Amino acid sequence: MTVDTTTLAAIINRCFAFSADGRFSDAQQSSFLVDGKRLRGLLLNLLSAQFSDGTQAVLDANSRLTEVNTQLANDAAILNNAANALTNVSNLVGILDKLLNVAASFV
Amino acid sequence: MRKRPWKTRTAARSIRLMAFLIAMAFLCGCLGNRYIAPVTTFRDKTQQTIGVLGDFYSSRNSFEIDIYLQTRAADKTLKVELTDSQGHHTPLGEPVFSPAGIKARLDSLNLVGAYASKLYDLSNPDQNASFSTATTTLGASLSSLDKTFQKLQGASDPTANKYIGPVSSLIGTIGQMFLDRKRDELITQAIRDGAPQVDAILSQIRDDMDKIFSLEVTTGANEKLATLIQAYNADRGGLDFEQRATRLAGIKAAANEAAPSVGSAPSSVATSMMEAHMALVNFANSPKNARPRSFAAFNTALDQWATQIQDVAAQIKLLIH
Repeated sequence: MTVDTTTLAAIINRCFAFSADGRFSDAQQSSFLVDGKRLRGLLLNLLSAQFSDGTQAVLDANSRLTEVNTQLANDAAILNNAANALTNVSNLVGILDKLLNVAASFV
Repeated sequence: MRKRPWKTRTAARSIRLMAFLIAMAFLCGCLGNRYIAPVTTFRDKTQQTIGVLGDFYSSRNSFEIDIYLQTRAADKTLKVELTDSQGHHTPLGEPVFSPAGIKARLDSLNLVGAYASKLYDLSNPDQNASFSTATTTLGASLSSLDKTFQKLQGASDPTANKYIGPVSSLIGTIGQMFLDRKRDELITQAIRDGAPQVDAILSQIRDDMDKIFSLEVTTGANEKLATLIQAYNADRGGLDFEQRATRLAGIKAAANEAAPSVGSAPSSVATSMMEAHMALVNFANSPKNARPRSFAAFNTALDQWATQIQDVAAQIKLLIH
């Protein structure tokens, strides 16, 4: 069982795009860049991580990844509430970081 | 009964032998070597693909170090470390992709290359070793025929001498036909036997590219671009025109690296290689009456593969650091 790294990569790429998006404030742009980099660091580890089938933490993480990706894909919603989007991305970093400790193996 | 003159008996025997040889030629049913051209091209394109993908695999850890150092260059508050404050190794401290993992991928690619080279050896008429058994058996049969005519050489019957040249030549041609048929059978069997394993390796390489390296490349290129943009925007007030122009040129280069086609390039060449291999398998399995069509399909797949190699080689150069 693996983490949905394809969706994670999509989130990362959106964060990097928002970090250079003039509709956000300088501070928000910086936050998106910092979170994007942290998520990418986690991605590189998760690409090779294997988990036991049915690991609840992975199922929860994958579900959260889909939610956050859907939110980030909605430009209007993000612009209306960038702070909420940044909070969700930041929380994702914590969720994925904990996953690395429960990986069964790294191939 | 009066015996026929020796001249007539010799001519009659020669005619029977000639008829026998011609019948053998038709029974052989395989004139020429149908595999030499497709297998040669398959081998050559495989070697080119291995070269391009090998460069790509070998450059992955260097690519990650570049991104790491780029971030440090853009933010003077960040230190260069082998291990960060959370205890995680940086790309400088430990390769992001294990050397064993990179080597395993390169080895599997080289295995496909060895398979393509072996097919070429089998199809190449100059490679005698593979056919030693076939030639020994065949040679014994043909030499007895040849000896018959050699005995006639220099005999008092000048008529018989006229047969020696063409018969010897025909024996050589027949021999080559049998060798070509045997070669055809060996190559066809080799392709059939090897197909599942080659397909499995190429599928794994393609999936590897899609699920691991494509994600690594696209996110890495976007990180680099975003880092350069943010650094420029923060610093631009203190830069003169030339410094700004230099930094902007770097941003342009990073934008080229981040193009979607670049990230998917290695997967595309693996896919086209799989399609060409499948077309070769179809060619090997096709009945005689379908061979022109399947050979044409194979050539079409080869052309597309060749185009992909050219395009991908150029794009992968952007990714190699």
